[in-house]
Amino acid sequence: MERREFYQKLFERAKEAGFSACEVYYAAGSSFSATVFGGEITDYSAADARGLGFRGLIDGKMGYASSQALDDEAIELLVEGARENAALIECADEQFLFAGAKHYAEVDNFNPEVDTVSVAEKLELCRSLETLAARADARLRPEAESTVFSESDNVEIVNTLGLDVHHHFNLIGGAVQPVANENGRASSGYALFYGNDPAKIDAEKTALEAAKEAVDGLSAESVPSGAYRVLLRNDVAAQMLGTFAGVFSADLAQKGLSLLRGREGERVAAECVTIIDDPHLPGQPSSTPFDGEGVPTFRKEIVSAGVLKTLLHNLKTAKKQGVSTTANAVRAGYSSPVGVAPANLFIQPSNLGFDDMLDVLGDGLLITDLQGWHAGADVVSGDFSLPARGYRIEGGRITGSVNQITLAGNFFSLLKDIEAVGGDLKFPVPSAVAFGSPSLLLPALSVAGK
Amino acid sequence: MLSRTIAEQALAAALRTGGDFAEIFFEDTRSSSLALNAAAIETALTSRAAGAGIRVYKGLSSVYVHTNDLSLTGLVSAAQKAADAIGSAQQTVNIHLTGAIARNIHAVSQLPMDVPGARRAQVIKAADAAARAVSGEISQVTARLIDWETDVVIANSEGLFIPDRRVYTRLSVTAVASGNGENQTGSYNPGAMMGFELFDTRVDPEDVGCRAAKQAVTMLHAEPCPAGVMCVAIDKGFGGVIFHEACGHSLEATSVAFGNSEFAGKLGEQIASPIVTAIDDGTMPNEWGSINIDDEGNPTTRLVLIENGVLKNYMVDRLNGRRMNMPVTGSARRQNYAFAPTSRMRNTFIAPGNDDEAEIIASMGDGLYAKAMGGGSVNPITGEFNFAVSEGYLVKGGKIDRPVRGATLIGKGADILKKIDRVCKVLELGQGMCGSASGSIPVNVGQPMIRVTDITVGGR
Repeated sequence: MERREFYQKLFERAKEAGFSACEVYYAAGSSFSATVFGGEITDYSAADARGLGFRGLIDGKMGYASSQALDDEAIELLVEGARENAALIECADEQFLFAGAKHYAEVDNFNPEVDTVSVAEKLELCRSLETLAARADARLRPEAESTVFSESDNVEIVNTLGLDVHHHFNLIGGAVQPVANENGRASSGYALFYGNDPAKIDAEKTALEAAKEAVDGLSAESVPSGAYRVLLRNDVAAQMLGTFAGVFSADLAQKGLSLLRGREGERVAAECVTIIDDPHLPGQPSSTPFDGEGVPTFRKEIVSAGVLKTLLHNLKTAKKQGVSTTANAVRAGYSSPVGVAPANLFIQPSNLGFDDMLDVLGDGLLITDLQGWHAGADVVSGDFSLPARGYRIEGGRITGSVNQITLAGNFFSLLKDIEAVGGDLKFPVPSAVAFGSPSLLLPALSVAGK
Repeated sequence: MLSRTIAEQALAAALRTGGDFAEIFFEDTRSSSLALNAAAIETALTSRAAGAGIRVYKGLSSVYVHTNDLSLTGLVSAAQKAADAIGSAQQTVNIHLTGAIARNIHAVSQLPMDVPGARRAQVIKAADAAARAVSGEISQVTARLIDWETDVVIANSEGLFIPDRRVYTRLSVTAVASGNGENQTGSYNPGAMMGFELFDTRVDPEDVGCRAAKQAVTMLHAEPCPAGVMCVAIDKGFGGVIFHEACGHSLEATSVAFGNSEFAGKLGEQIASPIVTAIDDGTMPNEWGSINIDDEGNPTTRLVLIENGVLKNYMVDRLNGRRMNMPVTGSARRQNYAFAPTSRMRNTFIAPGNDDEAEIIASMGDGLYAKAMGGGSVNPITGEFNFAVSEGYLVKGGKIDRPVRGATLIGKGADILKKIDRVCKVLELGQGMCGSASGSIPVNVGQPMIRVTDITVGGR
């Protein structure tokens, strides 16, 4: 059955079943990834995948069901499933479907050239990542696991109120993980790149960055426990922001799961901190002209010079709080319900260069890697305690490599304590919801070491 | 379901260009999830996912293609895509599949999909009410009941054609305790490879709610954990995550075959304290990490990883078995058809020893008692791991002194294994989702209470 015909039949069947309005969220895409180790292809994966989420209003409740098959059997499953699910819901929050808007922004994150890069070119890129990384230093093992990935995705939302929007984006990227060995000691490095302009791929830069991390780790030592001045490198700071981004969700706040609940208008961060969500950044796979409910997206400041301006809203949370949606409805996948999340959330960079930041740091630690986020960080309390790697800094200069330490603190205190914000904004990981940050200077974080 | 004739045609197409082995993994999954928030059911979802993954080997090269077009044309076209990627030779292969039956060692009496919504709602609401009753400081409770049933068929060019059904049910409760502008959470997430009878036989929803809530309240009144090197007692059950992270991942062929493991090349060597025996067992009836057959169609096994401190076995899948020249161990797993399978853990635990829990605390002097663990992660290359203590207590002079929050344990797997100086008698398992190369899969971790003589504790 052709897709539009399927929607039509589904909507008709839903109306018969008693739904007053309903919607489909269709996601389809193709993906590719290959891994090379020692020049051999050790992993190669290609796929076309699709899925459809149905939701509809019945007796004031929103029922959801999803399917990967689009046939007559699926229509029954979706309508009956959604009807039964709606009947279980007790939550009295008003539910919405959006009728569509006249204007949606042009978002530039689809580049047809990404889809024309051949498999052979991707494998060549993968092999060169390995070679470039492994050759960078004699202490590096000749094999370095390297991966190249690409994807091209379509999202479409259509409902019975007139909404009919779609968006197409793609990306290509790669990563390499070299291993250095010396005196029976092993140390690994990792670096990743992505984008949607094949011409801008710089495999050498990524390979050398990963190689340096692996080699530097060989001489890494722990440091004595205590409070240290800390510079969180941009990629680590972005991960920190991403891990705790849930605190900006009005949905979590309304559920009592964010300590920022009701604190709009208050100072929640240092004056040098401005946090922005910009869904229109070019080349970011997370950029989108419409949110998970089909509402046109827009750029907004969440924190302006330290003051909390707004939480992130969808139609439901906005109505509950008597404000307008910030167009931050999100569906984690076609089978997921509508939630709240930013598109591209980032801390606004300053004009300070990285070396200036090291100068301001003076004596302390530069943190280049934090691990174990899913276990060592708690969004509800803001507490974190994470294993770290990095460098010792004395008088603004790198004087040694550091590992086997943990860095501990609290995200809410950290926001208030930020002493300086760097100019090196980076979005380190391609993701449906992206987080970016420049390097951040903290006056004191607890370090557990030797 | 996948028919034998379609599978034969798809496998033949996959081998057309010179591949030496082909496999098709067909899957049809029905899942549902019920979530409660603020004492009311907030979301109810049902989902059906069906697809197939086709894998072709040529020597040590492997190609994986997956699709959710399950028609003959769709599967043959996916198979051809895989064939085109693996080689350019021409060969004609005839495939004859013989049906096999997987012995079902995990009986299910109440398929989750047959349970009325109202009965499911009862379970989740009982957990919520019990959590709220623990203390006035409980400010929020979220709970989720998830279940899924998966029918798979695994067929390969060696003639295997084997169906299997997997059924899982799990209840997760997270409670938040609030006071003085602070929030602390507690959670408990038991599950099993069984149907809704889970709540008649193994899990009392009220107990789940209580445990989560008590932990949250305890942590609200805890002080930050001091940092330093300490003697640490790790409690039974989910405490076994230390072995899972610190050693288990480094014993998977995924790491070992590439030399990306500190335990590569050490079979037969003493890698742990002689009181440590560790097992990865897929045969335990209805356990969260159990299976009937693995995702390559091999019968599941009970595998001794470490015996009295000596490394005995790695967990080996088919492709890495070729690399390592070792037989498979029936522990190849994947999240779903979108992932190629690889060696993964099942129910992985430290076997019971001879020590007593009370003596462990009494004889440790000053240290940390880690009663409940969060998750963790590991770099298998270096063995560096970390994991979070979600409920910890400082021990002073052999007595439990006071609760502490924010503790993290870090170290290297190889060091920790040698520093285990006590293993108690009573084994308990805990449920987790393990994320790795082939996606996120249910696993049990487990151990009796153990003690590590010294470990770096991150705190502040």
